[in-house]
Amino acid sequence: MSANETTLATARSGRVRTERTFVRFNLVQRWEHALFLLTFTVLLLTGLPQKYRTATWSQYILATPERLETIRQIHHVAAVLLIMLALYHVGRAVVRLFQRRLSGEMLPVTQDLRDGFKMLRWLLFIDREKPSFGKFSFEQKFTYWFFIFGTAIMILSGLLIWFPVLFTRVLPGGIIPAAKLAHSAEAIAAAIFVIMWHSYHVHIERLNLSIFTGRLSEKEMREYHAREYERLIGESDSPPDGEPE
Amino acid sequence: MSQRTRRWTTLTFALGALALVLALTAGRAVANPLPQAGVSNESCLQCHADPSVTLKLEDGSTVSMYIDQAVFDNSIHGKLGYACVQCHTNLDGYPHPEFSALDRRDLSLALYDACFKCHSGQYERTLDSVHERALESGNRQAAICTDCHGAHDTQQLTDPQTDKLLPEARLHIPITCAKCHNAIYGKYLTSVHGNALVNENNRDVPTCIDCHGVHNIEDPTTARFRLLSPEICAKCHTDPSIMDKYGISTDVLNTYVADFHGTTVTIFEKVSPDAPTNKAVCYDCHGVHDIQSISDPQSGLEFRENLLKRCQVCHPDATANFSSAWLSHYIPSPQHNPLVYYVNLFYSIFIPGLLSGMGVLVVLDVSWQIRRRRAASRANKEPSESPPAPEAPSPGSAPEGGASHEASSDGENHRAGGEQL
Repeated sequence: MSANETTLATARSGRVRTERTFVRFNLVQRWEHALFLLTFTVLLLTGLPQKYRTATWSQYILATPERLETIRQIHHVAAVLLIMLALYHVGRAVVRLFQRRLSGEMLPVTQDLRDGFKMLRWLLFIDREKPSFGKFSFEQKFTYWFFIFGTAIMILSGLLIWFPVLFTRVLPGGIIPAAKLAHSAEAIAAAIFVIMWHSYHVHIERLNLSIFTGRLSEKEMREYHAREYERLIGESDSPPDGEPE
Repeated sequence: MSQRTRRWTTLTFALGALALVLALTAGRAVANPLPQAGVSNESCLQCHADPSVTLKLEDGSTVSMYIDQAVFDNSIHGKLGYACVQCHTNLDGYPHPEFSALDRRDLSLALYDACFKCHSGQYERTLDSVHERALESGNRQAAICTDCHGAHDTQQLTDPQTDKLLPEARLHIPITCAKCHNAIYGKYLTSVHGNALVNENNRDVPTCIDCHGVHNIEDPTTARFRLLSPEICAKCHTDPSIMDKYGISTDVLNTYVADFHGTTVTIFEKVSPDAPTNKAVCYDCHGVHDIQSISDPQSGLEFRENLLKRCQVCHPDATANFSSAWLSHYIPSPQHNPLVYYVNLFYSIFIPGLLSGMGVLVVLDVSWQIRRRRAASRANKEPSESPPAPEAPSPGSAPEGGASHEASSDGENHRAGGEQL
């Protein structure tokens, strides 16, 4: 595909710059993100009015028992989708782990802590050199693991308050109001996280659409993932292993 | 619109406004108007003190026309010296004008609106009551003024200065309602409230009217009554001046609203108070008229097995554990519901911590970006200082799979690329 475009563009204009791009996310990962984005948004939009039920705006949304029932049903449908997505994500990782094909690039390592300190020093103008990162920077790993744990808490607490009679057959009753509280508070933590942290890093700091396109440009690779870039360039003599994980 | 009709409209409005003012002030016109009788009570009693005076009604029954002067003199109207003809306004001489009624009840129904003359405020409130609606729908037994207050033996119930119920009247109220609602009265007497009223002469406990209202008694079987009922209980149960004496928590409403049932019930209070709800309100667990103390050994909710029975009314599959999902009106603390307390504690540290930590990093990053942009714009003015174009990789050495080529025709940056053909 790329080669063809190169030829066509060359024939037309004669002024061509080729830009190398690097595959960052595969199709499955891009779909996972899209589905997560969708369910997260729906869950947040249908959940927040229920949390802030005493506020006037929320009471006009909830308004009648029928409306509330509809909102809860939408919330439950989105929740089921999210649960399926989470099971798929974890299941795929487990399968790949047993196949010994699971790449460890998302695992937090001590280097991430060092990177974090370096980043702070650089932001405070103590260091002149910006730290260089591998395929996933410590910020990106933090984002990933925040969502992994957050989603786990939301799914578990959500199921507890959805089926309280079922769960209290084995669990103590106090876990139900605790789950309600955790569900409500964790949702706010996640919302703050998405708005302040995630949307800042992928929209405001720089527009990073690689999760949708699947690719990063060479310039971005050099600037934000220098270690990974050097690794790939270094490996370029020998063929790199298949799709990234 | 012609001049004349406009004038008529203005006049009608003026009269209407006048009538409204009169109607509103009339309600307050009870305070001791001087008795001004055309016919003295003595004249009436010349005949009506005789126990044999009767009136024959259309159904063939006879009704006694005897008035016991002692009873009347002991009534509030007797004490204040009112005259018979101030209520019986059509009777200003003898022989009386023709009067007929179907039966005894018809007689009462025909005469009770005499109360309206002085007590229009109360009378009009009864027009909004469940009794009035029953009357309109054909139930002739529905309560009218005289059924509760009596006719010739009307007693004073409120303090004329404060308009508050007299202490001795409180005992009188449940007995009055019991004239018709006897079964409910029986239940009330067994309740913690009724028992305290009757056996301990407790002035704090509610009588019928504290929950149901006085003259504009609402239908308690509507969805609206159910949805708003927690507010009725909360009137007293959130008032520390009453509750502190008995060591009862005034957090019962807060904690109810914060928990599952109350959350859903209170959502609709403002926007759609007529919405039917199947979520538990106070009386679903505590009982309606037979409300018991939570420490009552028979049915007190303090005991898990009693509480579980209440849970199972709506949650038939509930097990013993389930009942402790309800926080029993406690605000979570290390003693009561520690799990909820510690989850709350965790998030009350975690969320502000998260917010401030991320806030600091983002602000630092923004300030760094601003400085970099300033530096870049300075560098643009001196193009010689711009960094050299990065070394472009040759196409042959490009990695496949992990990295790939994409072409774009970008005129401005074409010099930066190495692949010019």
